This record gives sequence, structure tokens and C-alpha cells, in this order.
Amino acid sequence: MRSSFFVPGSSLLVRSCLLAFLGSCLIVAAIGDEPGAKPDEISRFVERRCLDCHDDGLAKGDLNLVDLPWTLEDADVRSRWVRIYDRVEAGEMPPQDKARDLPNAERTGFLTTARDVILAADRAEVRTQGRGTPRRLTRTEYEDNLRDLLRLPNLDIADHLPEDRDSHGFTRVSGLLDMSRIQLEAYLNAAEAALRQAIASGTQPPPARDWRFTGMDLFPATTTFGGREAMFFVRNGKWVPNPPKDPREKRRDPTLELALFRSATWPYFGYPQGMRAPRDGAYRVRFSGRAVRQLPGFRIVPAYEPLPMSFRARQPSGPDVSGDVRETGGWMDLQPEAREFETTVTLKKGETFEYSLLGLPVPFIRTDGGFFYDYPPMPPDGHRGAAFQWMEVRGPISPESWPPESHRVLFGDLPIQDGPKGIAIIPGDAREDASRLFRRFAVRAARKPVSEEAQQVYRELIFAKLDEGAPFAEAMLQGYQAFLCSGHFLYLMEPKSNDDFALANQLSHLLWNSRPDEALLALADAGALAQPEALRAEAERMIADGRFSRFVDHFTRQWLDLAELRRDLPDERLYPEYRRDDYLVDSMERETQQFFAAMVRENLPVTALVDSAFTFVNDRLAAHYGLPRVSGSTLRKVELPDWSPYGGLLTQASILKLTANGTTTSPVHRGVWVMEKLLGDPPPPPPKSVPAIEPDIRGATTIREQLAKHTKAKSCAACHARFDPVGFALENFDVMGAWRDRYRGMEKGEKITGIDRAGHPFEYRIGAEVDAGGKLRTGETFADVQELKALLAARPRTLARNLLRQLTLYATGTKVRFSDRSEIERILDSCAKNGYRVRDLMLGLVESRIFKGS
Amino acid sequence: MKSPHIVRRLNRRRFLRGAGVILGLPALNLFANKESPPRRMLLISNNLGVLPWHFFPATAGKDYMPSRYLDELAGFRDDFTVISGLSHPAVVGGHSTENCFLTGAKDPTRSGFRNTISLDQFAMEHLGQQTRFATLNLGVNIHKANRSLSWTRDGALLPAEDSPSALFRRMFVQGDRADVQRRKFQLDRRGSILDAVAEDMRRFQRDLDADDRARLDQYFTSVRELEDRMQTARDWSTRPKPETSEHEPEDILDKAKFFEKFELMLRMAQLAFETDSTRIVTLMVDGFATPAFEISADEKSLTGYHNLSHHGQSKRKIEQLERVDHRQMRVLRRLLERLAGHAEGGARLLDRTMVLYGSNMGDANVHNNTNLPILIAGGGLRHGKHLAFNRDHNTPLSNLFVTMLQQFGVEADSFSSSSGNLNQLT
Repeated sequence: MRSSFFVPGSSLLVRSCLLAFLGSCLIVAAIGDEPGAKPDEISRFVERRCLDCHDDGLAKGDLNLVDLPWTLEDADVRSRWVRIYDRVEAGEMPPQDKARDLPNAERTGFLTTARDVILAADRAEVRTQGRGTPRRLTRTEYEDNLRDLLRLPNLDIADHLPEDRDSHGFTRVSGLLDMSRIQLEAYLNAAEAALRQAIASGTQPPPARDWRFTGMDLFPATTTFGGREAMFFVRNGKWVPNPPKDPREKRRDPTLELALFRSATWPYFGYPQGMRAPRDGAYRVRFSGRAVRQLPGFRIVPAYEPLPMSFRARQPSGPDVSGDVRETGGWMDLQPEAREFETTVTLKKGETFEYSLLGLPVPFIRTDGGFFYDYPPMPPDGHRGAAFQWMEVRGPISPESWPPESHRVLFGDLPIQDGPKGIAIIPGDAREDASRLFRRFAVRAARKPVSEEAQQVYRELIFAKLDEGAPFAEAMLQGYQAFLCSGHFLYLMEPKSNDDFALANQLSHLLWNSRPDEALLALADAGALAQPEALRAEAERMIADGRFSRFVDHFTRQWLDLAELRRDLPDERLYPEYRRDDYLVDSMERETQQFFAAMVRENLPVTALVDSAFTFVNDRLAAHYGLPRVSGSTLRKVELPDWSPYGGLLTQASILKLTANGTTTSPVHRGVWVMEKLLGDPPPPPPKSVPAIEPDIRGATTIREQLAKHTKAKSCAACHARFDPVGFALENFDVMGAWRDRYRGMEKGEKITGIDRAGHPFEYRIGAEVDAGGKLRTGETFADVQELKALLAARPRTLARNLLRQLTLYATGTKVRFSDRSEIERILDSCAKNGYRVRDLMLGLVESRIFKGS
Repeated sequence: MKSPHIVRRLNRRRFLRGAGVILGLPALNLFANKESPPRRMLLISNNLGVLPWHFFPATAGKDYMPSRYLDELAGFRDDFTVISGLSHPAVVGGHSTENCFLTGAKDPTRSGFRNTISLDQFAMEHLGQQTRFATLNLGVNIHKANRSLSWTRDGALLPAEDSPSALFRRMFVQGDRADVQRRKFQLDRRGSILDAVAEDMRRFQRDLDADDRARLDQYFTSVRELEDRMQTARDWSTRPKPETSEHEPEDILDKAKFFEKFELMLRMAQLAFETDSTRIVTLMVDGFATPAFEISADEKSLTGYHNLSHHGQSKRKIEQLERVDHRQMRVLRRLLERLAGHAEGGARLLDRTMVLYGSNMGDANVHNNTNLPILIAGGGLRHGKHLAFNRDHNTPLSNLFVTMLQQFGVEADSFSSSSGNLNQLT
């Protein structure tokens, strides 16, 4: 039994009086009949309708209603009664064969009474304790907060922090965001690293260096894996067999071009010779390049199509990669004519960057007669590739002003001097400057006012350091570091009425994954944020801002499991056409992100989750989806022809890939995913009292037959009927989301042989035909995915309700509570007229009492 | 390899200094530990287990007939005990149980589940830090964010180290004097930071309701624990690291080289024991996160390890799993050989090291979490038998943990869901 009843913000005296008062109420309540006792209506219903199966003898589905207590103030017990309520409300319990004589009035009577008492208990808890608990920042929120606070947009400190735990993909769950000594130590490390980076490195910006690469200096070696077909030097379109290495001018002969025909996938080391970043920072890269084709005899001619490329930051460590490899500089499309390109790459000290030609093959590893890399055979039009004429690098690029903005966040305009160890800050009156600077920093870092009392603790820490004779900067950094590991910075409080700052923070962490900006804080400070128009206007402004892409990235990663997109590689024997096709996978991810961003920004109907007349594609995705060719790597909105099975998030390649395992597809996994992620009706876990059946899939052929076998048992069939059918409709899509009419296998069916894009011979078989038809639990039948989409699109309210539930968890760290349900329905009502549009739903949530906490 | 004489001498000095201030049981614990030779434990779990029918012997007792897998360990028959009929009561839920192998926390898939303290942390809490590292928590192919064998009392995950080279550097690479000074300076600095944030946090919490306050208690526990650690780290930072003739290993990044990675990590664990860098090592072998991998020089698994473990009675998959399991047993044999081959103070290192090898999976094919495969070797226990418990009504695995704790020097008569002990091993 919980015993706290005080009201936050009230004085201690009032609190203790209240406590005494409520305490006496409680005693009275316990002695009397209401509200603690189980209402007769519930007891009667349970006895007559449930105990046949759910008594202490049978306890079907692990539910023993004789033992289940009626202590609804206990959240665990309450959640079990909510489940019972939900099953009865859905008409699933009592089961149909047992409920024939159940009068509607009896069912309604039970539901009404149960709802009222559960609601009262849930509301009571929210009243005393709030909807949830304070939430620790996630790893990425901590990093984004530091980036925005310290004005260091490229800050990279995620490595210092342990990954957060997740529940069904969500890392923002308050209950899982624990604190431990490891976590706290990680914050100390991360804060220290960030602060060291924020402070000016000297009285002058670090000198930028210039590099220019031509001729053989464009590449670190004269050959690469895959032999000459993979890389060589040309002049006037013709191979130059032995370009001279010495002297320097000859090596750098600007009439030479570097021609490259392989992807940057391992093993590889393709970076300009001698380029190594002297320090962390951004480097400007200019280069000239063109898209080419390699014809027999190592001749190169202009390509038919653009060739997309990027760069990858990495250690210059030869073919073996040590440390991380990151794409940087964005995607660029080389054109058939040589053109100049300019981009910026972000490098860490000691790193270089390699050419990353997207979508090209990797050589074939031969083990017959030795161990070597062989380039794949030449297609009729020649090998696709790129040629580079020259490259210039300049960096690290200094901030426009010096000392940098990040420095001024910490030290304002205090003069700086070169000191023995880095720089020295020269304060006027050290204590006075320290207090002033710390106050400004603390309020910014805390994202809300900070009491004098709290500041005092940190001031004393700084003063003690100053008194020891520590340099001013050192003393200040210690205070800052401490504050960045304190509750003020680490925890987000739940908005409660009249707490505009908590509301501003919840809003900015929802839409930007980070702190509110000055405009939003100013509104909170004026106490004007909770006004509906103001809140809506702010949310709209933030959605239009660039930082909104953080929401799109994180929400799609967590909600849709997009974080799992690269979990499995497609099986190289069954799906040789996808071997090492990272470009395809990267394109899939961008499609889903852009699609979801458009759903919000263009305020599309929620049914776009399951069906839409358009999607976003580039050259690779258009080919993957069997659509008319488009050129270049940029994703653009295209109308889908009527015959296309694509359209809607449901059939995007990313979703179909992450719900498969790379080798086979499973209607179970895909079906469960759709139920959980799109329809908000996750299947219950398999009941513990049902013994595990050992599936014997020997001799079974199609997945449909295997499942038919598996679900022969009634206990399995009941649940599988919830998700298998939806999954069957998606069987026409292979492990990467391409259309198929027949399954592939290794043993039975028509033999297909060939040589894949990397040169490996393959052999697989085309087997049984896909049967994508099915029948939903609600009775509707469908023949294929198009018909299923139509059925799902006819349930906009279900889709919208689920989206609101997923957003609620993401936004508040707490699942939709029983007492939130009526508010969710109210939001849905208000969005119904306009067809449940996604931005309307988001704004509806933001304006609701679930979000505002009042 | 040199014996770390210096470390031991300093330990004793630390004890003498500590004895003056610490009264009662903790001091006695320390005392008891100093008088007897060091006890160690190496706790290994493969989260996909093994094929049960080739693991468990058909007969029980001293004269049991070794199973096919245990045949691989024939040379060590008197150095290990195989135990059947053990599991954690109510720890069910398929793969989710992997984080409970050393905790025994019930029903990990239920809503609001929170893990509990793991065996290694429990032992460390009771004995305190006697070595440079209180424990080492290692992993092979491990998904660090979600999986670990090691959990705090609050149920927070302690991430595993999966880089042998980083571990090597932490254990052996001596920073120069400036490094040591810098580290000491940093620790002092952090000490005052922690004092400040804890003081501020107390104020911060005052305005919260009880529920929220309880949530933030973790923060105080973390501060306290970190302060303790830093105190110890401060002591250790001024002492020279042990020397080793081994070279820094190169990390194997390719997850397909599963067995090479497994062996390398075990060598690191052994190195840690030999130099008395720690007395407790946990190692989660994350088969679940292992993609198609090399079983031998000329065989690669048909699919990822997880998929393979769901063999569905496919003959090809079962045959392959058998070869995987056999190789795993050979890896284990080599570990025992090396531990037996290393002498310390006149004893075999194996006799001072309890090696637990097991899994949270009784049968991964059907997600069964009962009848777990459990093997315990070395550590001065009485071995050479097959302890067979009821396969229909399992004995709590934590009973074994209680015995291990006692053997380790912890005065505990219960742990997690234990209902007794397995002192027939002592």
C-alpha cells in the first residue's frame, strides 16, 4: 500500500495535514464497504461466467480468478484486471461456445462497473503520483542536448555512454531508463569530453591545412582487390600500364585519371595518398569526377546513367578495418561528363576518407587454386564505375568567429591567453565572474530556472577549486561537468499543471530529441505555453524546423523497428542478386524516413500507413520495385501505377526486410509485426500452462503447410488466427521486399543458375507458388495484398488509435494508462472529420491532458 | 609469466590499514580471505545451450557413463561434475531468460519486470574489492545493450567488455607517471563532483512525490557505489600493474569467427586470474547474436546460430549443431588444460578456480528453460560424478550458487530463489 498523498509544491505543513486527513479517510474506507470491496456485480459475473475455466484447478491461460486479489491500488493487480476487462469488452471472453446464454445486459453491467472502479483506482494513482516518473535522458537525447547546449553540432560522445535498454524497440521508457554506477561514470566521461571540445583550443583558430591530389596520389596503391578490372589509371580513356612513381611531378601527372569499379566494402582501402586528419573537425572536399563504363581492354567511356557515391571516414589501416567506418559527406551523383563537386566530411584525428561508390559489386573471393579476389564477368554494356581527375581538401574548417561559440557558452567574452597547458582564461573578479557565468550556464543546461540554493552547491565546488589555486578555466569546467551529471540535466520531469517548463521540455524532446530553444523557453517563462493556440503554434514551428528529422529518425527506429534493418544479411545462396547491396538497404531506410516525415508535414491520412498512391524512390529502389527507371540517388516522390503492389508503409522494402530473417520469410513474424506496430493489437504471449509443442518440420514444404501443422492444436490456432492471415498476404514479398510469385529453395523445383553481381556462381531452385490469400479473424477474406490493404485502410480509427498509443509512449515515457483512454478517444473524435490525419493526431496529443499533465 | 608478488604484498597492507577502522564481519571476511589461498570463479553461459540428449549422461552417480559431449572431457573426469535436473524456478520466457542466468529473477517477460543482483556482483558486494578489478564482465559476439550476465542490485545492466585488446590494456599497460598523476587528479576531481551532485540531488528530490523519489534512489546508490569504486581505484592507480610476457592481442571483428573469439576471451580470463587482476569473471557467449559462423576450417554454419538452434528436427541442422557443441566442449577442455597446467603457490590454478559452464536454455529448439545443462569444474570442490536431480521437478540452480558462494568465502546460506545448497560438492 502506498502512503504518500502530499501535493507537490505545497508547504510541508499543508502536506502533513493533508496526509493526516487522507490517512483517516483511508481508515474509514477500509472499515466501510466502498470503494475497497469487490462490487457484487463483478463477483457474480466472475463466479458465473469465468470460474469454470479460471479457477485454481484449471487456471486456463495462467489466470486463476480465485486467487487474483482485488487490490486495484496495486498497479500490477490493476493491469491484470484491465486485461480481463479488455478481453471481455472485445467479446473474446467468455469464449463463444460458453457465452451463448450470456445476456447482453449482464456483459454490459460487468463492463460498466469494472470500468468505473478501475478508472477510479487509476485516476487516484495519477492524482497522487502523476502519470509516470521522472525520465532519464536517453543516450541520444544526452548527446543532442549537449550538441545544442554547447553549440557543437558534430559532437560525438555516444561512445562514452552505454546503450539504453529497450522494450519492444522503445528506448524512451521511463521504467527502463535506469541509473547505475556505470551509467553515472559514463556521464562523467561524456561531459568531460564534451566540455574539453567546447573550449577554445588556443588564442587563434587551429591552422587549416591544404591538400591537392592528382594522378597516382588519388589512390594509396597501384592495385586493389579484384585486380585491374577493379581499379587502374587512364589517360584519354585508355589504360596506362605502368605510370611512373617517381619523380613526384610524374606521379602527380594531372592528365592521369583514377578509374574505380568496385564498392568500398571490405577488403578495400581507397583513400587519397597521405591524407590524414591532423585533428577532429570538418574538412572541405572539392573534386572532379565522372561516371564511366569500362569496356574490354580497360578502356573507359562515358556512362549511360549517373553513378551515386559518398565517402567513408576510417583509419588509413589498409584492407583490414580497425575502428569505426562512417559514411560522411552525403550522397552525390557523378554524371557522364566530368564535373566539380564540393562537400564536407567530418573526420576524427588520424582518420582519412575513402571513395565509396554506391551499388557497385565487390570482387569474388576465389579459393580454388589459392586465395585471391576475382572481378565479376563483364556485362554487355561494360562495368559501371567512376573516374576522378583531381581532389582538394582543406581543413579543419574553423568556426566563423573565434573563440568559437561553444567557448563563449562557457566563458562569455572573458579574455583568453595561451597558457602552458592549452589556454588560460583571465577573469576580472574570479568569484564574481564564476558566479555570473555559472548562473547563465546552469539555467541553459537545466532548461528551466535553477534555484539559488542549488546553484550554491556548484558555486562552492568552483570556489573551493579557485581557493586551491586552480586555473579559472579548470575550476569552471569542474562545476560545469558536475552540473551536466546532475539531476537538473539528466532527468525530465513530468509536466503537471502550471509547469510550462516541464511542458516545453517534453515538447522539445518529442520533436527535436533535445532542449527547447530560446523562443520556446521564453514562452514558458511568460507562462503562456499551455494556451492551446500557443502550444499548437510552437509545435507547428518545431515540426517545420530541421531538427524535426531527429524525431523522424528516432521514432521510426523505435516504433517500426527500423533500428533492426541491418540485423540480417540476405542469404547469398538463395538471393545472390542482393549480395553486399548496402546501397539498396540504405535507400530503403531513407524511403521510410521520408515517407513518414511527409505523413506528418503534409498532414496525410493515417491510412497511408497501409496504402498510398505514391512513395519515395531513387534509381535503386525504382528497379527493386519494378517501377519505371528514375535516375540518381535522390529520393523523390513518385506516383505508383495501379498495378503496383507497393504504396503505404506496410509494403515498403525496409519493413519487409526487417520482418524477415534474410533467408526465409515468416507470416508469423510479419503478421505479429503488423498487429503490434500498425494495428495496436499485439498477440498475448503464449500461455505458460500449455506445454511447449516440439515443431517437427521435416517433410513439410511451404510455410503455409508447416503452420497448418503447427496450429493443429486448438490452443495454438486461436492465437495464430490473429496474425498469420495478415502475414500470408505479405508472402508475395521476398526477404528484401521484392515481388515474387514463387518461393525459392535449395532442393526442389526448377533449377536456376548463373553468376551473381560479385562474380560468384549460384544455383537455387524456384519452387511452390505463393498463396497470399486468407481470412481475417473478423471474417473478411482477401486474395492478395492489395485486397488486404483495402481491408486495413477501411479501419482508419484503429490505425489512428495505435499511432496515438505509440506516440504517447515515445513522448511521455509511459504507456497509455486506463485513465488516458477516454482522452485518446476524444482526440480521435476531433480528428475523425478530417479523415484522421497524422499531424492533426500529433497536435491533438500535444494539446491533450495526457501530454500536458493537467 | 611473472607472479604478481607486489600486488599481494600491497593487498596485505591494505588489509592492515583497513582492519583499524572496519569492525565486525567485513573485517573477518577479509581476514579469512587473506589466510586462505585466493578463490576464483569463471561463470560462462552460452545463451543457446547445447543439444541436451548428447550432453547429459544416461546414468547417475560416481560411475556414470559419459555422454558423447562429455567424452571430450574424459581426461578431466575427476575435475568436474555434471548436474542434471537444475533450473531457475519460474524463470521462463524463451530467450528473455538469458539475462537471468546468474540472477534467477523470475518471469522476465512479464510487464514491469526488473532484474536482480547477479551472482558475481553479490559475491563482490560481500567480499569487497581485493584486486584491481572487482569483477570482469566479458562477452563474445554480445549485444551489449540488451544482454549481460552481470546486473546490479537495482536491476541495471552492467555492460560486457567484448574487446580483448581493450581488456589487455586495462590490465597490463602501465601509463607513464604523468598518466598516473592525471588519473589520480581526475579521481580526486570526480570525488568532489560526486559530493556536490549528491548534495544537490537531495535538495532536488525534496519536491518530488514518493513514487518519483523512489525512482531517483538509484541515483544515490550509483553515487555511493561509484565513490567506493573510485576510492579503490585511487588506491590501485598508484600501484604498478602486473607484468606479462603476453602481447596485446588483436581483436577479431568478424563475428563468424565465433570459436576463435570464444577462445581468445577465455585466454584473457585466464590471464586475469594468473596475474590476480580479478577473482571473478563472467562471460556471456551470445550465440543469439552470432550470424552464420565458422564451425571448422572447412565448414560454415547453414544459418545464423539462433536459426540453427531451432533445428526443427532437420537432420542436417542437428548434425551441424553436434559439431558445434563438440567444438565447444573442446574449447572448454583446452581451458581446463591450461588452468590445470598453471601452478600457483603449489596448487593448480584449476583447483582455485570454479568454472561454471551452462546455459539458460534447456532445449533452445523449443525454447525450454528447464533441465539446464550445467557443468562445474575445479575450484577445490569434490568432483567426478553426475548429480542427477528430478527432471520433472527441477532443483533450483541457485542451490548450486549458494554452495559456490560458500566455497568462494561468502557467508551466505541463500541466494535468489535457492531452497538449500549443493554441499555434496564440498
